[in-house]
Amino acid sequence: MNLIREIYQSIVRRDPLSTDKGKSELVFLNVWLHIHPAKVKREHMKFTHTFYLGFITFFLFVILVTTGIALMCYYRPYPPAAYQDMKDLQFVVFMGPFLRAMHRWSAHAMVVCVFLHMCRVFYTGSYKKPRQFNWVVGVVLLLLTLGLSFTGYLLPWDQLAYWAITVGTNIGSYAPLVGGQLRELLLGGHTVGEAALLRFYVLHVAVLPVAVLLLTAVHLWRVRKDGGLSRPLWKLQTVKKEQLVTIGAPQETAPLLVQPAVATKTYGLMEVVTGKPIFETIAPEEEEDAVFSFPYAFVREALALMATVTAIMTISILFHAPLEELANPAKTPNPAKAPWYFLGLQELVSHSALLGGVVAPALMVLALLAIPYIDRNPSRQLTTRKWALGLFTAFVVVNLVLIVVGTFFRGPGWALVPPWVHVVGGAE
Amino acid sequence: MERRLQQIFFALSFLSLALIVVAAWQANTPSWKTYQHRFYELEAQGEPNAITKAAMLATPPEIHQQMLTGLQRVDRCTTCHLGVEDPTMKDAPEPFRYHAGLGPHVPARFGCTICHGGQGLATDKASAHGSVDFWPNPLLSKEYIRASCGRCHKEGEVPGVPELTEGRHLFETQGCRGCHKLNGVGGSIGPDLTAEGANHRSPDWLERHFLAPNVVSTGSAMPNFHFSKDQARALTYYMLSLTSEDMGSYYSSVRLIPGPEYGRQLFVEKNCITCHNIGGVGAKTGPDLQGITRQHSPEWLDEQLVNPELVYPGSSMPAYDLESNERKALLAFLSSATPSDAEAIVSQRPTKLAPEDIAIEAGKQDFSRFGCVGCHGTELQGGVANPNAQGGEVPSLLHLSDDYTKDEVIAIIQNGRTPPLDNAKGPMPPLYMPAWKKVLSQEDINRVADYLWSKQQKKKEEAW
Repeated sequence: MNLIREIYQSIVRRDPLSTDKGKSELVFLNVWLHIHPAKVKREHMKFTHTFYLGFITFFLFVILVTTGIALMCYYRPYPPAAYQDMKDLQFVVFMGPFLRAMHRWSAHAMVVCVFLHMCRVFYTGSYKKPRQFNWVVGVVLLLLTLGLSFTGYLLPWDQLAYWAITVGTNIGSYAPLVGGQLRELLLGGHTVGEAALLRFYVLHVAVLPVAVLLLTAVHLWRVRKDGGLSRPLWKLQTVKKEQLVTIGAPQETAPLLVQPAVATKTYGLMEVVTGKPIFETIAPEEEEDAVFSFPYAFVREALALMATVTAIMTISILFHAPLEELANPAKTPNPAKAPWYFLGLQELVSHSALLGGVVAPALMVLALLAIPYIDRNPSRQLTTRKWALGLFTAFVVVNLVLIVVGTFFRGPGWALVPPWVHVVGGAE
Repeated sequence: MERRLQQIFFALSFLSLALIVVAAWQANTPSWKTYQHRFYELEAQGEPNAITKAAMLATPPEIHQQMLTGLQRVDRCTTCHLGVEDPTMKDAPEPFRYHAGLGPHVPARFGCTICHGGQGLATDKASAHGSVDFWPNPLLSKEYIRASCGRCHKEGEVPGVPELTEGRHLFETQGCRGCHKLNGVGGSIGPDLTAEGANHRSPDWLERHFLAPNVVSTGSAMPNFHFSKDQARALTYYMLSLTSEDMGSYYSSVRLIPGPEYGRQLFVEKNCITCHNIGGVGAKTGPDLQGITRQHSPEWLDEQLVNPELVYPGSSMPAYDLESNERKALLAFLSSATPSDAEAIVSQRPTKLAPEDIAIEAGKQDFSRFGCVGCHGTELQGGVANPNAQGGEVPSLLHLSDDYTKDEVIAIIQNGRTPPLDNAKGPMPPLYMPAWKKVLSQEDINRVADYLWSKQQKKKEEAW
């Protein structure tokens, strides 16, 4: 018995979980959990503040890595073996269709969730000082997610994959001077072929996932270093000026942004080192409204994880991942469409290659990256951010409309065709 | 609240576990296992020995597949069609019935889809039979399966499939090459047919198309050749067989050692003697072929037969669309050919030809082989409908000399031309004269003109 206890204690060094010290140590003595604070505020756990979108995105990434590694065991990244491997997954690999469907639908869901997460952060004004840089990291993660999805799109090597990537990379080649060369670098040739498949595979299974993993670590780290989650908007409204205490803040800063503190608050090493605690304004009586991460935050995260897994599994049982004919460079489908999240771009390109394919997306990405530095308004209240909210909402709506039009309303020859009209002989 | 959350968490965990079980159950009960079980039951029925019977019924389910590297495919059809090679199953219900008359074409070497079409990799009925989205090659209906023989049997007569022989013959004699390329030789008014079979058009469509091109494919330039039903069927067979696949050497059904007999037959068929001579017997336009196999390497000669222009710039010898074994056979014949062979060949020709007749005869050959007859007719009578061209049809070539000089005609053959319009505002006629200078050598074109001139008739005096 002693040996067993010794082994257990050699692994788990914390106090029993029945004690407060034990609950804290569970978090900060554990390499996986220590990205959490030992205590979290109740308001941060409220579902309607974050909708857990960041967590859900991360869990989708975990599902993708897991199913992706399983899929790698069955996949050879060269044509036409790649396509035959898809068929084998479909017809002879045990639970192959389920595996592939989970990977496919999680990938789409991840693109959606990253986008929704970005919207949530914008609408709650959580990109504002001191969180500007973490917003930039987030935008880069959005781009990496799109890159992961795009590179994965080619791997089945069917008609859908082949032409979506052909169209997608063609859009990129409209960039002046470097566009054509970038495309050639990405494809390893002038057209999508064996070299392109291998490059996309390497990007998809090695380069991009590692980049996402590293940047996610930075992203989560910065969430804590920038003062934890932002306060819910409804809490902001209840704070009264006279309740605030200010420590070490520059005089010119507006009271709502001021570093808070209460007389009894003790600071960790981080605060001592910088000399300037980065926390949002908190009324003194609210400071105590915090609970231990264990079990309050963890049970919610676990719940979000299981909800995500269950949802993806249900969808994967009901709907199989699509697989069209073997890629055929000589047979262009009409219309040939990029992956859905690039159809807004393709729609723009159909009107003007340079404006739609280069200027608009470049401006969009630059604007997204620069948002926290352009928007100097320190207020996070919805009522005082009419311009910012209006512009961002317009950006979201325009993107959605373009994607919907590109996906459902474009027929052969990119002609405007409503989805309820059946076009005869579109493929010939 | 906290209790409730924990309950939901456990509920969701059980739900996801249940979903995994559902997915695993789904994966574990594919329809092929049911078929296999039914087959073993059927097999065990007539088995008197109880132990053997029990063993049969206990056969573990497994996927059967034929890896056919030579045919670049994997066929899993025998996973369900278990009785294909078992003669006792000749009256069994499908999918277990015995396949009679396979001859040497055993599934282990040939699989199934090479003849039947369908999706060999699939293991459920709808996908395997190819009647699903995104599989362009569904099972061929019984009527057309024999067309698949032509995918390997690319030359000569195919036993049991007269349609293929007829189809190939029609293709070469009706002037199809005038508009269509096949293996690189032919015109470009119509689509290249080298891999027509790989387009997986429905046989029914092809057949109706041959009977009335314009009805099936609106606006098609292809004239109606008034084929009979049997001819349309034969051409359909031929089209279906043109898949341009690389069959492994085991499968390419050719004479393994092409004999000089076959070469001699080809030498006669292709009228080589109209240009060449053997030891001085024959025509003098082309070089003497006696001992040619000792003067050049086999590779050089083979290349020469594929593309004379490439080997010998300026060569007046046309490219013949010969299969590799036909070329080997020809060379085998030439290695042993003697002047007496040539004499025999010349004497068998219907009429002995004077030198100028030889040129005319060669012109006639070209006129037929390059498909001019497709539009202008085997007797130069023209008459193929060409809406909105002057006269509404392709002109007859019997009265050329009334309107043109020979040089003008040669220029038209070289450069092609669009037909004069009937109604200047109407649409362009679908057929036009292609430029032939890239396909035919100057010598060929001159000979065609010679041939045309030999056929000119004086216009009948208009009867007023």
